Amino acid sequence: MVMRGRDDNRIDLLQGTLDMMILRALAWGPQHGHGIGLWIRTTSDELLQVEHGSLYPALHRLLRQRLIAAEWKVTENKQRAKYYRLTPAGKKQLTAAQSRWDQLVAVVARVMRPA
Amino acid sequence: MWRWIGRRARNEQDLRDEIQFHLAEETKLRIDAGAPEDDAAAAARRAFGNVPLVQERTRDTWGYRALETTWQDVRHGLRLLARYRLFAAFSILALALGIGGTTAIFTLYNAIVLRPLPVHDPGGLITLAIQGGGGRANSFMPYPQFEAMRAKNQTLSGIFARTALPSLNASAQGASDIASGLAVTGDYHATLGLQPALGRLLSPSDDRPGQANVAVLSHAYWQRRFGGSPGIIGQTISLNRALFTIVGVEPKRFFGVTMGVAPDFTIPLQGVPDVSGNRLPLQAAFATWIEVMGRVRPGVSLAAATTELDGIFRQTSLAAIATTTSDGDAKFARDVHIVVASGAQGGVSGLRNGYEEGLRLLLMILGGVLALASLNIAALLLSRSEARKQEIAIRLALGASRTRVIRQLLTESALLAVCGGALGLWLAWRGSEMLLRLATSAPGALPIDLTPDFRTIAFASGVCIISCLVFGLLPALRGTVIVGNFSRGAVSPRGRRLLDRSLVVSQTALALVIVMCAGLFIRSLQKLWTQETGYERSHVLMLSIDAGLTGTRGPQALEMYRRVLDELRTIPGARSASVSTVRPVSNSYYLIDVVTQVGDRRLTQEAGIRVAYNQLGPGYFATTGTPMVAGREFDGRESAGAPKVVIVSEQLARQFTGNPVGQRLMIGTNDAREVVGVAADTRYARVKDAPRAVVYFPYFEQQAPRFPPSYIIKYSGTAEETLRAAGEAIARVDPALVPFNGKTLETQTRESFARERLLASLTIYFGAFAWLLVGIGLYGLTACTVAQRGREFGLRMALGAAPSHVRWAVLRESAGTVLTGLAIGSAVALMALQVVRTQLYQVDPADPAAMTGAIVALLALSCCAAFIPARRASRIDPMAALRQD
Repeated sequence: MVMRGRDDNRIDLLQGTLDMMILRALAWGPQHGHGIGLWIRTTSDELLQVEHGSLYPALHRLLRQRLIAAEWKVTENKQRAKYYRLTPAGKKQLTAAQSRWDQLVAVVARVMRPA
Repeated sequence: MWRWIGRRARNEQDLRDEIQFHLAEETKLRIDAGAPEDDAAAAARRAFGNVPLVQERTRDTWGYRALETTWQDVRHGLRLLARYRLFAAFSILALALGIGGTTAIFTLYNAIVLRPLPVHDPGGLITLAIQGGGGRANSFMPYPQFEAMRAKNQTLSGIFARTALPSLNASAQGASDIASGLAVTGDYHATLGLQPALGRLLSPSDDRPGQANVAVLSHAYWQRRFGGSPGIIGQTISLNRALFTIVGVEPKRFFGVTMGVAPDFTIPLQGVPDVSGNRLPLQAAFATWIEVMGRVRPGVSLAAATTELDGIFRQTSLAAIATTTSDGDAKFARDVHIVVASGAQGGVSGLRNGYEEGLRLLLMILGGVLALASLNIAALLLSRSEARKQEIAIRLALGASRTRVIRQLLTESALLAVCGGALGLWLAWRGSEMLLRLATSAPGALPIDLTPDFRTIAFASGVCIISCLVFGLLPALRGTVIVGNFSRGAVSPRGRRLLDRSLVVSQTALALVIVMCAGLFIRSLQKLWTQETGYERSHVLMLSIDAGLTGTRGPQALEMYRRVLDELRTIPGARSASVSTVRPVSNSYYLIDVVTQVGDRRLTQEAGIRVAYNQLGPGYFATTGTPMVAGREFDGRESAGAPKVVIVSEQLARQFTGNPVGQRLMIGTNDAREVVGVAADTRYARVKDAPRAVVYFPYFEQQAPRFPPSYIIKYSGTAEETLRAAGEAIARVDPALVPFNGKTLETQTRESFARERLLASLTIYFGAFAWLLVGIGLYGLTACTVAQRGREFGLRMALGAAPSHVRWAVLRESAGTVLTGLAIGSAVALMALQVVRTQLYQVDPADPAAMTGAIVALLALSCCAAFIPARRASRIDPMAALRQD
């Protein structure tokens, strides 16, 4: 998975990071694939530009792991869309991932900027 | 499966819709931001990335990947097979013949040797035999000992005795035919744990004296004779004029407990006197005539059962010494023990004993043929993978992993194996029945269940997988070696050619062994046919009658036989006719007695001469064309009251001092006779047996016939006419007499060679097949070499080499390969073919004629196979070859 900064510096997204962000996006409530992508982009102030397509393999993988569930619903614009939502297992997974991430950030920060 | 496909399609549709929705949303978003419609859609796509790739990656997460790639490989493989039709057809056919042949033989082997009886818990069954004085085990034993074992044993949950009734005249519903029967003690069906297909089976109460006669039909006979009618229960059937009530039908797959002998009727032992007219020797402790099987109680070992049964057996035997005056009987009581063996496959079977080893041998030979076919296909695949090098190189270069390519190549091989295996299984199923017919030459229904069971299927699949690995793995591994320096026109590495070459070498070696084996069996059969037997084989017809089947017994029966002989002598075309008990070639009788006095020389019981004996009518030797060395034949004046006379064979005549004619001969303890003639040696009952001491008694001196007679007619004209005329002659004596077993001596001899003919014909077929395969293999190799070295040859010829030079170069290379193969094959054959020794008659496994023949056959073939491509090589146009790339 590749993400691009504004200046097109390629940075490999850490393994599992996209999954974690998807779970986070769904913490606000059910959302369809496009909405999830949009949320990630806007929340990151357009700094993280995930290739839209790469969301779908990740979504289907999470579905298979039963961390999320899916359901076809009609949008406000009367269109059929597949809405994803967190399952209880997904919620648990999100909490765990969140704390692991916080730890990782803190540790890496300490390494990078020793006091 | 269908649900899976349905879900798969739904998922696919969902994903498409989902992506569609995404792109629409994104486009709308961009239009709202002010972009033109077209640009917005394109930008949305760009931001999304590669749509098919996303779909592909998403599909991967569904977990059908393995199945999908396999399906892809299968489709790809099928397309390739369709493109290379000739190759595919050849490989599939070769495999089908190899797998089919092997499986057909295995089916027979399984049915005859491996398969347990179709009864409840066959593993618990045991079969009893007696063994004494270091002799071979004998499955026949006396009745009183059996009765004692039945009454006293603690280790068995059931035990039964049986005796065969080979031919019964069965009449029911106004028609009669000759059927085979089995007489059993009452526990037979219960011990086996059988359930009736109809009615009930026999129970101990049926076997008590004074009970009404009942009979149970085999399922096959019920179908064949009564069309499976349920109304048969309670009907009466007459067996040799005695009435029996049919009470039930045995289950479908059950053919009795002796492999190859399928009784049509099963009756209680106590009914036998009504059928045979003789009382049963139920009190005779030294008359061996019943066969015994039983079932051990759960948890009881064979050893424990043996100890107990042997104890009871010997106790009874020893107690019976008081009732006998014979030394032999006392010796029997002292020496003979019971031996117990597993009875899961049923009792001792002549069919099994006769064929077990031959079938195992054939299995090995066919395994060799299959290996040969596999090697052949491997070589072809290898040369094809050479041609596909470019394709594979491109695929590897485009990022396919080696495992992925190997998997695909193996799938192609597996496709071949599956097609060949399926066709082979079908061939095996049809073929095994044909083989059995060839083996037993039995007319009518075959008493063996050949339906494929899990063993056959497992065997066929195993064989299929192994051969697939043999011919698939090597080319796959070879073909995918990273060919980084691959370029068009490069000379193939030496190693690869060596591999090709060694494949052909091993094929040649294998083929030599197989062809030579075929040669050995042909020679052996030839030896059997040309074996001097002491009698003339051509224009001799034999047929049997049994007055007992019509209820005529005793002196009346003998009188009837005499009248039949008189009638037979009058039929047109009969040059002479006579009668005997044992036919010149016989599978029904082998009668043995002991001579205790020769001339004036008395012999002790132990030193007595074991002789075979026969009972003959007047003019027998004239009919068979056997010369009398001294004295005369029986002249027709023999009768119950006449002086007792005997004829001896040359072998026995040597035991006398001086001319045996006129001297005394004592047979057994009290049968003293005068020798009236010496007949030239003949082979007794079997062509293979060396001439032995034989005693000939007059048939018509008997009070009552002990055995039914077999008539023998020397005819001019055709056998069919003579047989018909003989039938009419017999009917003139008594219309109820049915002649059976009418055969010419040639036919009977041929049938007695059934096993040898089976071995010979099968090895000939498959030897020829192996021979052909090697030819194709060598042709393929040489053609491939010529194709690869085309430029080299062109260059050489351009530089002045004569075409014959090039031709020789190619031929030399092939000759090297073939000769190496033949040398290795000869060495292997000399060692390996020792295993066929027991199946050969007067032929050494290292028979020079068979070996020379095989080598010549293979050499001739390989000359043809190599010459065609060699000629092509010599006709290469140098310019064309050089301009090739």
